[in-house]
Amino acid sequence: MATQTNFGTHVKRFFVALGSLLGGGIASLFRGAGRLISTGYTIAENWLIDTKKATYGLAITRILLGLSAVGLLVSNWRTRLYSFGSGSLWNGEGLEAKSDFPQIWLFSAFHRAMPNDLAYTALYLLLLALAIAFTLGWRTRIVHPIFLVLWISFIEANDMLGDQGDNMYRIALFFMLFANCGMRWSLDARRREKKFGPTTNESPTTQWGQVQNIAHNLVLVILTAQVSFVYISGALYKAGGDPWSGGYAVYNPLMTDRFGTWPWLSEIATAWGPLVTIATWGSIIMQLAFPFMLLTRPTRVIGLASILTFHIAIAVLMGLPWFSLAMIAIDSIFVTDRTWQNMATGLRQRVRASAEEAREKVPA
Amino acid sequence: MDKEKKKRSHLVRGVLVALSLVTAWHIFASFLWIAPSSPLREIPTQKVLSSYMIPFFGQSWSVFAPEPINGSYTLKVRAVVDDGSGPVETEWVDATAVEYSMIQNNLFPPRAGIQAGEVASQHKAEFDGLTADHQVIAGLNYFEGDWEARLEEKMSSYGDAALVEEYMVTEHMATAYATQVARAVWGEDVQRVQYEISRQNVIPFADHHDPEAQQPPVQIIATGWRGLIVNPGQSDEAFADVFLRVYEGMQ
Repeated sequence: MATQTNFGTHVKRFFVALGSLLGGGIASLFRGAGRLISTGYTIAENWLIDTKKATYGLAITRILLGLSAVGLLVSNWRTRLYSFGSGSLWNGEGLEAKSDFPQIWLFSAFHRAMPNDLAYTALYLLLLALAIAFTLGWRTRIVHPIFLVLWISFIEANDMLGDQGDNMYRIALFFMLFANCGMRWSLDARRREKKFGPTTNESPTTQWGQVQNIAHNLVLVILTAQVSFVYISGALYKAGGDPWSGGYAVYNPLMTDRFGTWPWLSEIATAWGPLVTIATWGSIIMQLAFPFMLLTRPTRVIGLASILTFHIAIAVLMGLPWFSLAMIAIDSIFVTDRTWQNMATGLRQRVRASAEEAREKVPA
Repeated sequence: MDKEKKKRSHLVRGVLVALSLVTAWHIFASFLWIAPSSPLREIPTQKVLSSYMIPFFGQSWSVFAPEPINGSYTLKVRAVVDDGSGPVETEWVDATAVEYSMIQNNLFPPRAGIQAGEVASQHKAEFDGLTADHQVIAGLNYFEGDWEARLEEKMSSYGDAALVEEYMVTEHMATAYATQVARAVWGEDVQRVQYEISRQNVIPFADHHDPEAQQPPVQIIATGWRGLIVNPGQSDEAFADVFLRVYEGMQ
């Protein structure tokens, strides 16, 4: 009779089993989630603290941003007083600046110097010297903040002639203050190497070294987010317009005087309708896909190659070379250190090989 | 990926968390700022967001969207010149053509080349915002004495004073620019100036292979004669040096 379990017991056992199953499941779910979060945290912590990431990429960003400033200053040299200095006061910005920056003391130097040709030219040359020093990575830690302040002062003194590239440039240059963008391919690096031997990127032993790595790597996170937002929002804003969805949007600006700076090239570029549509839809798709293409190596190569093409086309066809170069500069952080190193080694070997060949073909 | 948990000092971990939070906030704020205005902005509130983003992180990426620019602006200037033998009306000079020639077929164009076009587009936007009554008055001649005050007063008497005030800013700028162009080209004997701003759209894409296709009609803004405006500190030489060199190079 004892083997006879009653119905009530069955029901009880069922609920106990169910409870244990659910309880165990939930506990294991929490344990799993906890482990996932903890592993995720550890990976993130190690990524942020152990080594500086994209050190060569950021060096290229520094060099290209520097070159973009040098290029802009040199190509505006002859017309500097006409467009930014005493010849430009008709636009009213010399009296009352449109941008907020000239009203901040730190960024007001160029604004104040506008009516004085000599002072303006002196500041302009100083800014050019700083841009060259920044490009070469000479005393970067000192040059960089001074260059940033004077650059903002210069570019924001005349709002009318500015573009969105100036904003991107300012934001990138500001965050780079907290990274080590003079670590590679700079005069600073060369000097350090002569004194202390080759630069290493190993896990720092000091706390200060670890904190510096955190700041450096978080800057890369911020720049990546910034670039992603710019491209994705650019694509989404465009997608709402008829000329973009109709596949002919790039034709319009290329036909205007302002953005069709090479009329004969504009004609060639827009002559074949399907190509216009490829360029129009291609810009949207590529901008939207860019951040996701960064996730794996093969797609990253395609993504970077297409964004490079996109920027070079803007630079040449629309007459915006320095805007494009600044964008290319920031995209350089997405090329891995190993790739940059390989490219540098390849270039060095090729230069050496051709020098060798020249020596053989033209003996002394 | 390095999954090994390492020994770290509390200080470094603390700094890591603090800097990561600052980064997360910056990224969130940038996201909200760059994205279209949405109810999500209520989380930090619009005021907190803009006081963080402006001016340092100010930006806007709806460039060429939803529709890219599809027309060209022109700004022409003429003047009344009196060299002693009586007032003479000059021919029109196309200032936009002079400046655009600096950026066309040039791989490294100076920003100087877009000024006249900018003046024209800003001025046309303000002018188009006026009522028909205001526009008629803007077409009249105002060049004697404190003509700016009289023009503003007359326009305001037809209402929308705020609109008129905004318009007067670009009126001042366009006249000051026209004054520089006139002085550069015709010298110091310039007595008054007139500028003509227009916009012409490009041939629509659908017709661009049609050899018979005509550009859409020019939209002209007619404003009257104006007295000269020279802002304090403005250098005629610094302006004329560049403008005249390019203008004469085109002749």
